Amino acid sequence: MQFIQQLINGLTIGAFYSLVALGYTMVYGVLKLINFSHGDLFMWGAYLGLTGLNVLLALLPQAGAWAILPVVIIVMTTVALVGVLVERVAYRPLRTAGRLAPVISALGVAFILESLARNIYGASWKTYPTGITPTGRIALGGDARVSVMQIVVLAISFLIMGALYLFVQRTRTGTAMRAVSLDHDISRLMGIDVDRIIAIVFVIGPGLGGVAGMIVALYYGSFDFTLGWTFGLKAFIAAIMGGIGNIPGAMLGGMILGIIETLGAGYISPQWKDVIAYVILIIILIFRPTGLLGERMAEKL
Amino acid sequence: MSRKFTLLFLSLVLTLPLFAGCQKEAEVIKIGLEGPMTGDYAYEGQGFEKAVRLLVDQTNAAGGLLGRQIELVIEDDAGDPAQAALVAQRLVDAEVVAVIGAYNSTATEPASEIYNDAGLFHITPSSTATGLTQKGFQRFFRVCFLDDRQGLFAAKFIDGVLNAKNIGILHDNSTYAQGLADHTKRYAEELGLNVVFYDAINPDDQDFSPILTNIGAAELDAIYFTGYHAQGGLLLKQSGELGLDLTWVMGNASNNPEMVQIAGLANAAGTYITTEPLPKDVDYPEAKKFVADFEAEYAMSPDSVWWMMAAEAFNVIRYAIEQTESTDSQVLAEFLHNEAKNLNGITGPILGWDEKGDRLGTIHVAYIINESGEFIMNPQQP
Repeated sequence: MQFIQQLINGLTIGAFYSLVALGYTMVYGVLKLINFSHGDLFMWGAYLGLTGLNVLLALLPQAGAWAILPVVIIVMTTVALVGVLVERVAYRPLRTAGRLAPVISALGVAFILESLARNIYGASWKTYPTGITPTGRIALGGDARVSVMQIVVLAISFLIMGALYLFVQRTRTGTAMRAVSLDHDISRLMGIDVDRIIAIVFVIGPGLGGVAGMIVALYYGSFDFTLGWTFGLKAFIAAIMGGIGNIPGAMLGGMILGIIETLGAGYISPQWKDVIAYVILIIILIFRPTGLLGERMAEKL
Repeated sequence: MSRKFTLLFLSLVLTLPLFAGCQKEAEVIKIGLEGPMTGDYAYEGQGFEKAVRLLVDQTNAAGGLLGRQIELVIEDDAGDPAQAALVAQRLVDAEVVAVIGAYNSTATEPASEIYNDAGLFHITPSSTATGLTQKGFQRFFRVCFLDDRQGLFAAKFIDGVLNAKNIGILHDNSTYAQGLADHTKRYAEELGLNVVFYDAINPDDQDFSPILTNIGAAELDAIYFTGYHAQGGLLLKQSGELGLDLTWVMGNASNNPEMVQIAGLANAAGTYITTEPLPKDVDYPEAKKFVADFEAEYAMSPDSVWWMMAAEAFNVIRYAIEQTESTDSQVLAEFLHNEAKNLNGITGPILGWDEKGDRLGTIHVAYIINESGEFIMNPQQP
């Protein structure tokens, strides 16, 4: 019975890792850049969502749960704009500067975003307005229970990931993205506007990251400015585990990391869960250096 | 000739600031405050600053100390041991005569070594890890009480008031929380309780559902969490969301109204807290005056007992300097060890300090969070 409950706990954590991992993997796919600022863009989603909800609920107290919808759209747009701006200012000028400079630039952006959040919102824990998310639990037989909020989180995560997968596989822009991820110069010769495709990746990645930040904050109810660091690092590892550059790999890596961590924490001890998770990561990388789904080069993004 | 003159002139110009420096040192008394102005414990660190600043301003307005003005030098350790060592050195370099700090034991530990090496008079308002005063530092003191006192109190409360038999203890691997957990376990077992669950969380996590699922399955009569309020709030919230019916008892690091916000009212209600009494419940006129002054200055009440402790630490330093008419660390330390007895502290009576620098006596009480999220003294005390 406990095993089922732990599996549900792990899937929920894994869904958050997957959502954030998507952003790392998409950017790596087209630029071979580890975008360390992604975790902090995600964290900004949580803060902007907080401001948005507070303002909207102050103006329209009767909006209740409906307030979430417009705020999500605003958060997604704003974080996407910041993402595009970051790419334009901090990454594009360094695109021909080798691989180290953009990574350091990305770390710099991460620190800037984190310090901005701390200085603007303060260092204390922030809490989301209560009573706007669904409550209640469903018994699954035995002692195992799943909360309505967990079902909502899992459903939204799978929906986002599925839609993104279809977008990349089935649309013209998606095909162009896959081409750019293989070779910038040849893509350009084929008539693809590489800069435009990269900009689109920086709309989708941070946009989804911002939404993920808001979902995480709604689910846990509280967070502080270190949120981006904690989730960002884990999600980055999930992306590597699944095969960085690969969208289904990010989903798989996130879920696996979430479940391993949870089972490690539940059956051994939370003090050991990171040891267990990283030992498994190292074993996976020894046998599959490109990650679990990393070898399907043709589908790489 | 002209070269000699230039040299003389240069050496005069270059040493002038040194003399000016000496002059200035004699005018002000520098007191250092080290605390987490940012980071997880920023709420407490910023409260330290408010509390101590209030008293410094009052003292300066009343003519200062020994006729000299006090200058408060504030350093931010972010609650982090590496940064604590760094800023401790900066306070030493700034030539403060005494230091108040740090907030958490993990940060106080490395800092206290540096203050000790520099021969500084050092008082921590809130670091309660027992090990801190076991190193033979002659100029290190606390105004808070040892973890093992609180551990004994918690064990008595869980046994005598809650009538629990099978209990769990959860810490977060910090120096402080693990110390309190170990002491509580020892005393609980001495009282005949079964500690059937003993484990730690990782405070960087956001999701504690895996360990809560285990705690729920362990069929405990009570669970004692010794960590800090942010994690305490998340534990209460997630335990409520998992539908667990647990009796939570929290240590004094969770004595913070923010915990109720993080947990949500429904999940927080009914939680017990073992702690030093809250400012509003301390009955001494000195405490009442401090609370009133604080409210007048900042338009908020001093919600955390640790802010009171920081003010207490400053008052002790001021008292020692006044009585000894000295700012020499050794003189001040000997005064506290040997002569300072039975003072009216703003957190309760100060009986004195033992040879290790620990404040004598204890003032712990148990609180309960009521339906409206307020911390009220539990009607039954052990």
